[in-house]
Amino acid sequence: MLGWTALGAAFVIGFAAAAVVLDLDRQVRARFDGTRFRVPSRVYGAPAILYPGLDWRRFGLRDALARLGYREASSSQDLPPGQLVWEGSRIRVHLRAFEHPTRPEPARDIAIILRGSAISDIREVPAGRSVGAVLLEPEPLGAYYGPVREQRELVALAEVPEHLIDAVLAVEDQRFETHSGIDFRRIAGAMLANLRAGRVAQGGSTLTQQLVKNFFLTPERTVRRKLREAVMALLVEARYDKDAILEAYLNEIYLGQRGSTAVHGVGEAAHLYFGKPANRLSIAESGLIAAIIQSPNGISPYRDPVRATRRRNLVLELMKQQGRLDARGFEQARNEPLRLAAVTPETGDARFFLDLLYRQLTETYTPAQLTEEGLRIYSTLDRRLQHIASEVLRDGLQDIENRRPKLKTDDPARKLQGCLVVLRPQTGELLALVGGRDYRFSQFDRCSQARRQPGSVFKPFVYVAGLEPRDAEPTITLASFLDDSPLEIATPDGPWRPRNFDGKYHDRVGVREAIERSLNVATVRLAREVGLRNVVEVAQRLGIESPLPAVPSLALGTAEVSPLEIARAYATLASGGVRPETQAIEDVVDRGGGVLARRELRFQRVLDAGTAYLATSLLEGVAERGTAAGVRAGGLRGPIAAKTGTTDEERDLWFVGFTPDLIAVVWVGFDEPRSVGLAGSAGALPIWRRFMEESSGGTLRGAFPRPAGIERAEIAPSTGAIALRGCPEHRTEYFLPGTLPSTFCPGGDGHEAESIQRGFLRWLRDNL
Amino acid sequence: MAARQPLTAVLVALLLLAAGCVGFSPTHTPRVSELASGGDDLFRASQRLVLEGLEADEHGDRPRARSRYERALQIDASNPWVYLALARHYVEAGESSRALSHLDRAEALLESQETESPGAKIHCDGLRGAALELEGDHAEARALLDSAARSAPGVWGDGELSASELR
Repeated sequence: MLGWTALGAAFVIGFAAAAVVLDLDRQVRARFDGTRFRVPSRVYGAPAILYPGLDWRRFGLRDALARLGYREASSSQDLPPGQLVWEGSRIRVHLRAFEHPTRPEPARDIAIILRGSAISDIREVPAGRSVGAVLLEPEPLGAYYGPVREQRELVALAEVPEHLIDAVLAVEDQRFETHSGIDFRRIAGAMLANLRAGRVAQGGSTLTQQLVKNFFLTPERTVRRKLREAVMALLVEARYDKDAILEAYLNEIYLGQRGSTAVHGVGEAAHLYFGKPANRLSIAESGLIAAIIQSPNGISPYRDPVRATRRRNLVLELMKQQGRLDARGFEQARNEPLRLAAVTPETGDARFFLDLLYRQLTETYTPAQLTEEGLRIYSTLDRRLQHIASEVLRDGLQDIENRRPKLKTDDPARKLQGCLVVLRPQTGELLALVGGRDYRFSQFDRCSQARRQPGSVFKPFVYVAGLEPRDAEPTITLASFLDDSPLEIATPDGPWRPRNFDGKYHDRVGVREAIERSLNVATVRLAREVGLRNVVEVAQRLGIESPLPAVPSLALGTAEVSPLEIARAYATLASGGVRPETQAIEDVVDRGGGVLARRELRFQRVLDAGTAYLATSLLEGVAERGTAAGVRAGGLRGPIAAKTGTTDEERDLWFVGFTPDLIAVVWVGFDEPRSVGLAGSAGALPIWRRFMEESSGGTLRGAFPRPAGIERAEIAPSTGAIALRGCPEHRTEYFLPGTLPSTFCPGGDGHEAESIQRGFLRWLRDNL
Repeated sequence: MAARQPLTAVLVALLLLAAGCVGFSPTHTPRVSELASGGDDLFRASQRLVLEGLEADEHGDRPRARSRYERALQIDASNPWVYLALARHYVEAGESSRALSHLDRAEALLESQETESPGAKIHCDGLRGAALELEGDHAEARALLDSAARSAPGVWGDGELSASELR
């Protein structure tokens, strides 16, 4: 009877054990045969370019190289890639190779010759040949993590240097090639050592067991867990060959931290500690990586270089003892000083930009692809401009609160907010974007996700509609006058009486004065004269996508739009009427090196170049004499076209300004609209000004190009007539062909001859 | 009166000579390398990258060429020669709509910067003709290509603008 019971019990136990083993086997196969590693996709900024003439101090060359992990060496003798030497007025730097399937850059040893704050020449070493421009590697901006914040760069076993494999096996599992998943000799040795030490001083796990533990199990030290680990290790060894297990281990093993991100695998560790791919590690560097497996944070070479070096030398010693390293190689590696890459923490400057990019990418890729497939996403972001934008927005909002202490609050949800977006107008590249005050408290991007009333920054679209020839004739020229007297418009909600900001009216104002002083009544009249539908059509053509109801108040910017839309529409003016497609991504590369997406620069002429120039000229006047004149307060020199905007009760403060090279839009306000108590010129303008001052060094380049065909003439500002000799007042003004004023100052037939003479001279100028 | 006749004849001859020069001598078509030392630092650096791009195009390394042109734009997005080089690059690749879009940009910049030399105009016309040929607009294409070939037979005689001819 007892025999049957025992047999029955044994059968049940055997059946249960078999079920457990089968379940463990299923888990092993699922992991090994499926996606073994989830690799977050990484995003990079645009590569910085160094060229003769660049102001290296303002560019922040030292910081840029440090962020890329370049390390200062003591001598320029045999300078390896990733290192540099400052030699007085010369920087010797061995640029690393940039690996990319279609636009790779080789490693390049160069000397950057400095003269004052400018780069005077860049020469190849040792050839001495002068090179026009060199590219730094794109800077990492961040990554798209899944539920776990860990980063790894997958490496194939064939790419891992033999000495790194030897170093890992020497210290972690010297009989890896021969055991079946469990090394009983090692377990016995570890038990003996632990008994002697009176504590857990040595582990007995093989690589396979460590891999199983990391893949499937929790770190708890229980007998049950150890048993599962042992069974699974045996299953792994039975099903997969040693190379597959070793490759999985080398990619899985935890090897330290980069800020809040866990670094896994030797590929990522090689970048973290030495700023290079795993296949370029030296024997000593391989020894160090193997050394820190035991306790990546405790033996971190950044935290305790002496301890790390001691442990590295122990690994090298083990390699020699086990015949994996000869005596010469051992001596050489042991004497190699610890040369670590500079620490490159993720700064978090670009998180709003990363989110915007994520939203764009999810139109094409699944979230799982972005968090697990290790894509490399190269963006258009300019790391330097982004950093400046983040700083000036933060400081600018703080400054507003200091000026108006009532606005201060400890409640993050009610804090004053702002955003700053920067585009390159000719190409539409998004160069910088800061969507809010502090990403930690609010991830809502006020540049691309918020829709706010633009106020007066909408007005230029009304003037463009007026200046654009319709039925051959434009509604206005820059010599025209507008009626700014009190106005009442019947609307379905009753009569609407637009008012000017200062509550005053003017019977007759010049077009320039109307926009420079941002007069509401004159602008509403112009919009009605042009046709509200035409104003809507122009705004949409320039780049506004939000709905724009054709109502009279539209002219004063009551239809809600995003700051990014405003930036795009003004970019069309800045680029001479050619609308670029906004671009944030250069290309997307998959783990196998395939290019999944590549940007195409796309342009469309949506406005005559002459009309765009006249509108730009008006906005230059706003920056010189009008509501935006404060842009020059800090001494900023060079061409600026700009417009301020303030909505009712000062709820939204705007500033849009562009130069021939950049357009930047600043918005300031509360998420739940309430009064800031300042105008756009006092709240948003200083932020824009500081951004331009810091990014340009105080001098803006170039000029707004005047298209051929635009006529230049002297006019009498008070009448808009052509100013002839003897006219008491003069102002230079610009006109589309055939739109010159037909009256003269002083008036009368006696001046006809002079006008003919001027016309002839103009013909000569234009045709010879 | 008699004394004035030879003078008139000389003047007429000079005028005819001038007209002949204007009408029949080939126009010089500028190369990017000739313009690489002018302008400001940004323009010069941008031109150097355009030259590297053209060199890559010459060697058939199209991805590198395009990357170089894009970096040139990163430095100086107002440089018309980058767009011209990109237009040439796309014509060579048979991508006519992209070529035309970049040509529009190049022409607008050349025009607005008052740098539109007759030679640059010939390149624009020739490339537009080549792009239109690709689009199947043979009549318009032929007219532009013929005009370019007449103006600069040394470069446009074969109906093409090679990277080395622009470099």
